[in-house]
Amino acid sequence: MSEILDEQVASNLYFDKSFNHQAVKLLPGEYYVTDKDMLLVTVLGSCVAACIRDCYSGIGGMNHFMLPDGGADVGSPLNASARYGTYAMEILINQLLKLGARRCNLEAKVFGGGNVLDGLTVANVGQRNADFVLKFLQTERIRIVAQDLVDIFPRKVYFFPKNSKVMVKKLRNIRNTTISDREKEYRQRLHKVDSGGDVELFS
Amino acid sequence: MIKTILAVDDSASIRQMVAFTLKGAGYEVIQAVDGQDALDKANSHQVNLVLTDINMPRMDGLKLLELLRKLAQYKNIPILILTTESGDEIKAKGRAAGATGWLVKPFDPKRLLEVIGKVIS
Repeated sequence: MSEILDEQVASNLYFDKSFNHQAVKLLPGEYYVTDKDMLLVTVLGSCVAACIRDCYSGIGGMNHFMLPDGGADVGSPLNASARYGTYAMEILINQLLKLGARRCNLEAKVFGGGNVLDGLTVANVGQRNADFVLKFLQTERIRIVAQDLVDIFPRKVYFFPKNSKVMVKKLRNIRNTTISDREKEYRQRLHKVDSGGDVELFS
Repeated sequence: MIKTILAVDDSASIRQMVAFTLKGAGYEVIQAVDGQDALDKANSHQVNLVLTDINMPRMDGLKLLELLRKLAQYKNIPILILTTESGDEIKAKGRAAGATGWLVKPFDPKRLLEVIGKVIS
C-alpha cells in the first residue's frame, strides 16, 4: 500500500554539555524550527540539510532529506523527485514563517550530498540532492551564504540559528555503518511514498 | 473557450510546477505571489477557478477565500486549496469560508487535473 511520507518534527531533544546549549538531533526526514537560542545537530551522508534563518530575528531551522528517485518521468520538471524535494523545503519555510520569520529576510546555509552510499545505482544521489537544494533556493531567491556540498565524506553539522554560526566536521574515519544504514532505511521508505497528498472535495 | 485559473502561492517553485501542469492541460494561468496579489488580479481578470496556498505573507489563503466569497463574481467560482496543511481544524475553517476542495501537498499533477476537471464549469 502506498503512503505519504510526512516530514516529521525532530523529537530527539537533549542538553549538549560541550556547547552548553539545549539541542535537538535531526534524523533523515526530519526538520526543526526555533526562535530560541538552540543548537540543531545532524549527521549527513548523501542527504542534504538546509539551515535557514531570518537574518534579523534569528528565527531559524534545519531540515534533513534526500530526493526519492524521479521514476519514469525523471526528465520532467514535475517528476516525483522534484515535487517531494520542493515539499520538504516548503514545510521548513512555512514553519519558519509561522514562527514569525519574514520570507524576504531568509538566508540559507546548505550542507551534505556526499557520495557515501555504496553501489553504482546510487552513485549520484548526493550530487542530485545538492543540485536540487541549490536550484530550489535560487528559484525562491533565498540567499545562500555558505555551503559545503558533495565530496565523499559524511558530515556532522552543528547549527546555531540565533547567531547563524555553523560548524561542520567531516567524518573521515567511520567505524560503523550507522549513517549509511539510516540513509538506506530512509531511502527505502521514500521508495514506497505515494506521489501526492490527500484530496477532499467539500461539495 | 479556454478556462482561466488563478494560481496563488508564495513559493516560486510551486508556482512553476502548477503553471506547467495547468498550461500543459490547456488552461490559461494567472499567477499570484500572495493573497493580496491574488485579490488584485481577481478583480482585474475573469477567472474560472482559483487554486490557492494557505500560508503566505501579506494575506493568507483563508483570508483570500473569505474576501473572494464576498465578491459577487466569485460567489460560485470553484476555489481549491493546495497546501502542506492537513489538520482537521484548518480544513474545517476552509470549508466554512467557502472552499470547494482541499488538496494536500506534495501535489500529484494527475490528481490535481482530475479535481479541477470535476469542479470547473
